[in-house]
Amino acid sequence: MTIEEIVEKYESDKGMLIPIMQDIQYEYGYLPAERLRELAVILDVPLSRVYQVATFYASFRLAPKGQHEVTLCMGTVCYLKGADRIAERISEEYGIEPGGTTEDRLFTLQAVNCVGACAVAPVVIVDGNYHGNCTPESTLEILHGLSRQEEEKDPAKEGATSTRRDKRE
Amino acid sequence: MPTVTIDGISVQVKKEATILDAARKAGVWIPTLCYNASLPPTGACRLCLVELDRGGWSQLVTACNYPVRKDITVSVKSERAQKVRRGVMELLLARAPESRELAEIAARMGVTETPYPKVTESQRNCILCGLCTSVCEEVIGCSAISFVGRGADRAVATPFRLASDDCIGCGACAMICPVGTIQIRVHEDTDEVEISPFKTRVKMMICEECGARMVSQPVEEQMLGKVKINWDEFRERARLCPECRRKRTVKALVLGTEQTIV
Amino acid sequence: MSNVVSAEKLLRSVGDLEKLRKKLQKEWNTSTKIVRVCMGPGCAAKGARGVYELFLEAARESSTKVAIETKPVGCHGLCERGPIVIVEPGNIFYQQVEEPDVAEIFRETVLSGRIVERLLYEDPETGKRVHHAEEIPFYSAQKRIALSQNGIIDPTSIDDYIATGGYSALAKALTHMKPEEVIDEVEKAGLRGRGGGGFLTARKWRSCREAEGFPKYLICNGDEGDPGAFMDRAVMEGNPHAILEGMIIGAYAIGSHHGYIYVRNEYPLSVERLREGIERSREYGLLGENILGSSHSFDIRINRGGGAFVCGESTALMASLEGRAGEPRAKYIHTVESGFREKPTVLNNVETWANVPAIINEGGGKYASIGTEKSKGTKVFSLVGKVVNTGLVEVPMGTTIRQMVFDIGGGVKGGKKFKAVQTGGPSGGCIPAAYLDSPVDFDELTKLGSMMGSGGMIVMDEDNCMVNVAKYFLHFLKDESCGKCTPCREGIPQMLYILEKITKGEGEPGDIEKLEALGELVSEASLCALGKTAANPVLSTIKYFREEYEAHINEKRCPAKECKGLFSYVINAEACTGCGICKRACPVEAISGEKKTPHTIDQSKCTKCGACFEKCPFTAIEKV
Repeated sequence: MTIEEIVEKYESDKGMLIPIMQDIQYEYGYLPAERLRELAVILDVPLSRVYQVATFYASFRLAPKGQHEVTLCMGTVCYLKGADRIAERISEEYGIEPGGTTEDRLFTLQAVNCVGACAVAPVVIVDGNYHGNCTPESTLEILHGLSRQEEEKDPAKEGATSTRRDKRE
Repeated sequence: MPTVTIDGISVQVKKEATILDAARKAGVWIPTLCYNASLPPTGACRLCLVELDRGGWSQLVTACNYPVRKDITVSVKSERAQKVRRGVMELLLARAPESRELAEIAARMGVTETPYPKVTESQRNCILCGLCTSVCEEVIGCSAISFVGRGADRAVATPFRLASDDCIGCGACAMICPVGTIQIRVHEDTDEVEISPFKTRVKMMICEECGARMVSQPVEEQMLGKVKINWDEFRERARLCPECRRKRTVKALVLGTEQTIV
Repeated sequence: MSNVVSAEKLLRSVGDLEKLRKKLQKEWNTSTKIVRVCMGPGCAAKGARGVYELFLEAARESSTKVAIETKPVGCHGLCERGPIVIVEPGNIFYQQVEEPDVAEIFRETVLSGRIVERLLYEDPETGKRVHHAEEIPFYSAQKRIALSQNGIIDPTSIDDYIATGGYSALAKALTHMKPEEVIDEVEKAGLRGRGGGGFLTARKWRSCREAEGFPKYLICNGDEGDPGAFMDRAVMEGNPHAILEGMIIGAYAIGSHHGYIYVRNEYPLSVERLREGIERSREYGLLGENILGSSHSFDIRINRGGGAFVCGESTALMASLEGRAGEPRAKYIHTVESGFREKPTVLNNVETWANVPAIINEGGGKYASIGTEKSKGTKVFSLVGKVVNTGLVEVPMGTTIRQMVFDIGGGVKGGKKFKAVQTGGPSGGCIPAAYLDSPVDFDELTKLGSMMGSGGMIVMDEDNCMVNVAKYFLHFLKDESCGKCTPCREGIPQMLYILEKITKGEGEPGDIEKLEALGELVSEASLCALGKTAANPVLSTIKYFREEYEAHINEKRCPAKECKGLFSYVINAEACTGCGICKRACPVEAISGEKKTPHTIDQSKCTKCGACFEKCPFTAIEKV
């Protein structure tokens, strides 16, 4: 959908700025600066407000995300059961912090404050699939599995993903 | 009209007036930072906290935006109120350690130093009061700057932290900043005015006669449609600075020429 | 369920609704074989969907002539034992069901009525296996009002909701009650907000009704930001119509025609369930113009949050709904007077709305007969952490902490010692063992230095460091603070800085006093509830566990052995087999020992990194 179509879907209601931006992010995978400039003009809201909203809410991304989205729950129960060690391990292995994307754009790592599946903490969500009772090892296994899948699809990609960081703004 | 008894002094105020209005009427000083008479109060900086008597218990409220609807009793000088205001000021001093204006207000409150480690952020000296963003949005109507991010990373910036296309270089933000963080800088070589720290530069209009810098071009454009005048006449006039205009008028009067440029 | 209603689904009157209900009830009662598969968050994460699909397939392929219905149901509560499957007839409760088990359950129980013993719940004390949920202490102690239909109905089926009594409260309100009488009934019930504020619901509704200004708005707060809480999620995904019905009744009571449900961004399934529910309700004319033929019109729109805990605060939520950053504002002028779009607004939590139909149906008096003097009715809690039976429970207010943790929760996992229960999320505090017999209600928890909050109950044991807990919450709050007001924005990081020093072994005498002073300042001076309650985790842990703080600061020791570097690792010579794995893992060569003889750690070299502890296959390394 184009920006115009999205805005029309919400009847150009300025109050629906956040759902509109969510739809844009869904469409493009992130919020491209140019699309936001377009949005400001079409919806007739100041660009500064659009940018303020884009940077205020944790779910908005201003940089493209990777192919696979890995979300770590950092809620209380998950934390008490070792979620930070999972984050550490992923950081060691792939060189990314929450909010970052690996250089080969394979994984984007996000940390979220509670997804509501506390009974099976720690929880890691990979591409929308919930994995409960995770450990650093079990999480790495899942990620390695995805890397292998990509290699099989494209033999040009070698080995584990690179270690350069790519932090979002 | 409800009565506000503030530190023992009773004054009457209109309904929906604020405790701050009452304090000013009564001659009682309450420190403020994020308050400006031309903008709606937000109660963000928390420096104006006073103690409101609730009959049996008391509540700390911000004087700048607490609406008076009935008779109330307020204490500015109470121990609890003073303690909390000083605490807020100490936190602010850690955030804006180089601001002279802030230090002056602090001194008047009896606060000379802060026990907290100084905050090392890129926008040191901004106390995030929001007056600049408010004046830009609500009075000037440009919305060139806004708050970005949140929490301890909250800052005032232009979209994408690039030079703003909406800024008209009017300098209202610099004028309203209570801690002197925003500055207007004039660049001689390019005839531009820059609003620091927002990296935005804007061309100024130059007097054809003497080369003095005048109002910025975007300000002129902004006023289009907002002020009812003859714009062609304005553009004629605007080619000269007030001083040169005066000289030319005098000359015209003295020489008795028909055309006068006033 | 089959498409019961004719092409013309619209219910034009209460009479139409009752006719439909009778028809659905007849079908509901004649449906002989039903397999209910719990699809709550816990069970789903353990593979419930796969189990459900297999049951569907089995029913489809089965050659038996009897109709077998496979129903996906909302969170049943005992998440620890998921995936949960309940088979009718017989109400047989199966737990920890995995895909390979489906064939057996289908063949034995569904088709032949025989029990599969190994999948029944086994009492950990007596070893006895039980057939029905009600026989399990976890369930028998509960009283379910908000969760009454969870686990029984298919949340995507409005017909299921109606068959089990849904929308009868709405019919009663519209035909037999005036709007003010609805408010009176809610007042009689003594319902207090379930989101954390605990404000008297009827008082809120009445103030809004009497406020000047139109239109009036109704909002459902589905932001559920407290980490560890998933009660609202269970209701939104397990029984969305209860919320819708509550809202339609509330709208009638205050005179509103526009409603919003604000759901946190991290709950996409809740959004989907609510959306489906709204569409089905609209089809039946339960939302929209002239509901059930009355003069009451009301419709609801769903908005998602953008990922901000602070948007659980009412004015921040409203700012978000208006398309702005979620920054709270002063509430000297209440939102019931001037709220969303500066109009009179009633904002209530999901669970609060879900209680309304029961109150109208059974009367406020009945509701008020449950609970304590000032906290009426029941409350849903998420009982999680170091407890045997993790899950969701709904109990009468006044149930003691001991009952919840031990009787219902089955006690502390792994036989460890109970240390504290954390209630109220980041706005709450930790309550130690000394207060286990305290009744759980709004005022009691506040008296203890914590608060009810949205209902999170996190059980902690001897291995949890309370200083670390305080640090975790402050870190969370620092992340989530909107940054508008000075004390919260500046004070929380300053407190966190001190806590980080302490947990790293760099604490100094006077740090506790600094934390207390900062905590007091942040509590007194902040603009909204996030800041005002931010100090609770710190102040409550200092109050009850001061010795732990002092050990960290004065002795550089973490009594719970959680904070890295503040405890030691020692090899148990008896358990050590001398395999040498730890020696190889040690980055500073602090471990010595010959092969097949017990190894030792040189404490003077040890950096306490924990690598040896992680790698030892014989758990021969202990924390001291």
